[in-house]
Amino acid sequence: MNEDSLVPVLDVTNFSVDYGYGDDAVRAVSDVSFSLGRSQVLGVAGESGSGKSTLVYGLTRLLRAPGVITSGEVTLHLAGERNGEAFNVLTASEDELRQVRWSQVSIVMQSALNALNPLRRVGKEFDEVLRRHDRTSSKTARQERAIELLALVGLAADRLQRFPHELSGGQRQRVMIAMALALRPELVIMDEPTTALDVVTQREIVSELYELRQKLGFAMIFITHDLSLLVELADEIMVMYAGEIVERAPAVELHGAPRHPYTLGLMNSFPPLQGDRVRMTGIPGSPPNLKSPPGGCAFHPRCPSAHDRCRTQAPPLVAIEDGHRSVACWLHDSSSTEVVPVSLSRRAASRIGQGA
Amino acid sequence: MRSMRVPRSPKVLVGLCILGIFILLTLIGPWIAPYDPNDTSFVPNLRPSWQHLFGTTTLGQDVISQLLVGCRVTMVVGFIAGTLATIISLVVGLAAGYIGGRTDEGLSLLSNVFLAIPGLPLLIVINSYLPAGEQANPLVVGLVIALTGWAWGARVLRAQTMSLRDRDFVEAARIIGESRWRIMLGEIGPNLLPIIAASFLFTILYSVGVYTTLAFLGLTNVATWNWGTMLYWAQTNNAALANEWWWLAPPGIAIALVGTSLALINFGIDEFINPRLRAAGLTARQRRRVGMARRPRLGFTPVQRSEVRKKGASS
Amino acid sequence: MRTALRRLGIYVFTAWATITANFVLPRLMPGNPIEQLIGKLQGRVTPEMIAAIKAQFGQGLNEPMWVQYGHYWGQLFHGDMGVSITLSAPVSQVLSSQMWWTIGLIGTAAVVSFIIGTALGVLFGWTRGSRADSIIPVATFLQSVPYYFLGTILIMLFAGTLHLFPIMGAYDSSLNPGWSWAYIASVLRYAELPLTSIVLSSLAGWMLGMRNMMVTTVSEDFVLMAVAKGLPRRSVMWHAARNAVLPSVANLALTIGLLVSGSLLVEQIFNYPGVGNLLVSAVGNEDYPLLQGIFLMITFTVLGANLLADILYYVLDPRTRTASVN
Repeated sequence: MNEDSLVPVLDVTNFSVDYGYGDDAVRAVSDVSFSLGRSQVLGVAGESGSGKSTLVYGLTRLLRAPGVITSGEVTLHLAGERNGEAFNVLTASEDELRQVRWSQVSIVMQSALNALNPLRRVGKEFDEVLRRHDRTSSKTARQERAIELLALVGLAADRLQRFPHELSGGQRQRVMIAMALALRPELVIMDEPTTALDVVTQREIVSELYELRQKLGFAMIFITHDLSLLVELADEIMVMYAGEIVERAPAVELHGAPRHPYTLGLMNSFPPLQGDRVRMTGIPGSPPNLKSPPGGCAFHPRCPSAHDRCRTQAPPLVAIEDGHRSVACWLHDSSSTEVVPVSLSRRAASRIGQGA
Repeated sequence: MRSMRVPRSPKVLVGLCILGIFILLTLIGPWIAPYDPNDTSFVPNLRPSWQHLFGTTTLGQDVISQLLVGCRVTMVVGFIAGTLATIISLVVGLAAGYIGGRTDEGLSLLSNVFLAIPGLPLLIVINSYLPAGEQANPLVVGLVIALTGWAWGARVLRAQTMSLRDRDFVEAARIIGESRWRIMLGEIGPNLLPIIAASFLFTILYSVGVYTTLAFLGLTNVATWNWGTMLYWAQTNNAALANEWWWLAPPGIAIALVGTSLALINFGIDEFINPRLRAAGLTARQRRRVGMARRPRLGFTPVQRSEVRKKGASS
Repeated sequence: MRTALRRLGIYVFTAWATITANFVLPRLMPGNPIEQLIGKLQGRVTPEMIAAIKAQFGQGLNEPMWVQYGHYWGQLFHGDMGVSITLSAPVSQVLSSQMWWTIGLIGTAAVVSFIIGTALGVLFGWTRGSRADSIIPVATFLQSVPYYFLGTILIMLFAGTLHLFPIMGAYDSSLNPGWSWAYIASVLRYAELPLTSIVLSSLAGWMLGMRNMMVTTVSEDFVLMAVAKGLPRRSVMWHAARNAVLPSVANLALTIGLLVSGSLLVEQIFNYPGVGNLLVSAVGNEDYPLLQGIFLMITFTVLGANLLADILYYVLDPRTRTASVN
């Protein structure tokens, strides 16, 4: 981490999203606040339906109907030509948003096959994006830039002549990443970019992303349900459950010593990429139905450590341990008399550094 | 996971209502017809009046009586042809999609041939070779229409069967040794219901259209009243040039209304099969109720502060 | 390439099936329609004509079926489709003089309605949820109106009452057919109303189908991606429209048949020369040789149109051009 990380790229406060309108509305993201510094990587983890994708699509106002943003502020701190400008995403007009899209914030979607227009050659897609940014550029200049971008992700120039269906899954996702970097954005959103790929390609792409970030210095929000991927890439990790942040901590600390029972469960559902073999336990039950969320803590029906208070009162997200991490769990409440399981207690922190 | 409930959209409701009215007329039409449709004793070319709600023809016949009597034959032929065509397409589609291999090749070729041959000319040719007595028989005409109209449904059903064939529950039935036909009818069949329904409605639509067209050309028995024969007599007596709209309009609009009702119901089924078609947004009226200024646009998620809204989920 | 050959194979097979149906149907139909026809024709036409019909339909011949079948093919190869009973002229000659009116009228109508309907469908699909949705019930109704009925109504409104359009025939009969401006203008003028009625009745179908496809396509990721790239709305719509039009083109096979079937009757309403009009009179007069010839001609034209649609699809979708796709 360098001092750049103190300069914010994105500020989000009390951000909430509903699906549906009026009486049919269902809360999908609830009161989320965070801030992301320049060239920082924020990991967002959670099961499908936890609201992690809804959160980022909502932040960029790309969320489809019937999604509605119901509260909060989203401020994007622009760079480049508009350096220093604080851009209010939620009050911006469609035209203003269009100016900011891709040049300041770009996105890589889960399935590159679906995200690329099947009827277009890769080169055409690059050309379109680059021309949108700079209408005066020459066609050859744009092509050179496209070749340069492909080289960045390790693809040969001849890929420009290909249609999406002629590329392999890994190649397609690399094309998407190269395209996301085309206009040198300040923030790149990765919506499960590796989920559809095999483990080897996953691993390659994650390390490429790490190097690219070092080289180009963009900030990243990386969404995944695989916590172990994040440990190597992210500076900080946010774990979401039922539309809320349940735990937030620096990546290494969170992985070494989770504080929320859900985080622990999530970690045990995926084998680590390196290290010893561990028994996979996973989390019993399934994510809550957002139409009728359980009272109290949303996780209590699946939580091994649930007690009476969890069934009636929802725990707030509070800072713990000198304020550099936070958790929403009654186990860590100062007034709690419950016994904190060893795996979630401070003592487990000693495991850090033993090679997770 | 999927309920069998067709979305209760206003489109479907309107469609069901119109169709209901015509089904009712099919049942009681001939009884409530005020006069004998063949009776030529009235003053010709009367405009609509209380005596003759839809006026009279150049031949001095009562139009509404013809319409009411003709409803039954038109609908019954449409229904017979639709049913037969659906049965053929179901058998062909299921067999081709489930058995696969040579059977599939042969049956697919057959349905492609019937898709490529224009239906109406084929129908006219077959019909013209029929003995004159058979041309008047609604059952025979219905059968011939079904023969030319099953291929579309078969193609859709085949595709769906193929996608269902490899699902877990079918696999399970195969492993426990259920017979092929039992799997096709018991396991796959129920999952095809929305598509069968859509193809049934479509073929009824096609059949009513084709039957009235044949009748309009005078290729069915012109003494049997249906909506096509009404138009046939109107055309042969130059009703259009004489501006006798009351004679022309009722049968034409009736055909169009039956078609519309079937198409509207099909919209509902389409939305059921393809969830993307379901109105993800709101109608203008619903939007006003929840206080939204404009319809949500792609890439411009609306912001509606919750101060003015109630969180419906928590109660 | 394999798929292309396959499609071609289907068309060849369909052509064969149509030709064979023409041979088999009159011979196998219950009630022996040909014998009845000959009975009716006795004394009304020349003995040579009756002999020709007998030969064509295998009446009173002692040849086995397959010899007749071979003979039938031989005649077809020489363009001999028999002699029309009512017109006393070779069927091939009658058809070649009349078919261009039909191809001109229906072909133009099909292209015009496809283009307008598709464009409208793109627009209505794109603006889904707006007030423009109220067009759907109207379009659904219009789609269900039989072509010939709409033609009749148009005659009543514009030609009968308002006298705005000529109603009968394909050109002003006082003019000599030829490449003169007056003649061409007259042909266009006489085609306006029939063309309008075909376009109006087939337009709604294209539009509704295209709207559905557009709605489905807009929910694809690559459309959202185009928005995320900050592209103008028009470009985003184009991304979706190019993809949405593919199924419409793929469905042409089904719709061309329906369109042609519907349009044939419009000719009769407007007394427009052409195959549809011939068909109706051939049926009325039990002119079987002509009927068969027309059926062959229509089917072959529709197959040709299907082939064109396939080529169009091939051009539009790169996925059909590479072997790597399943």
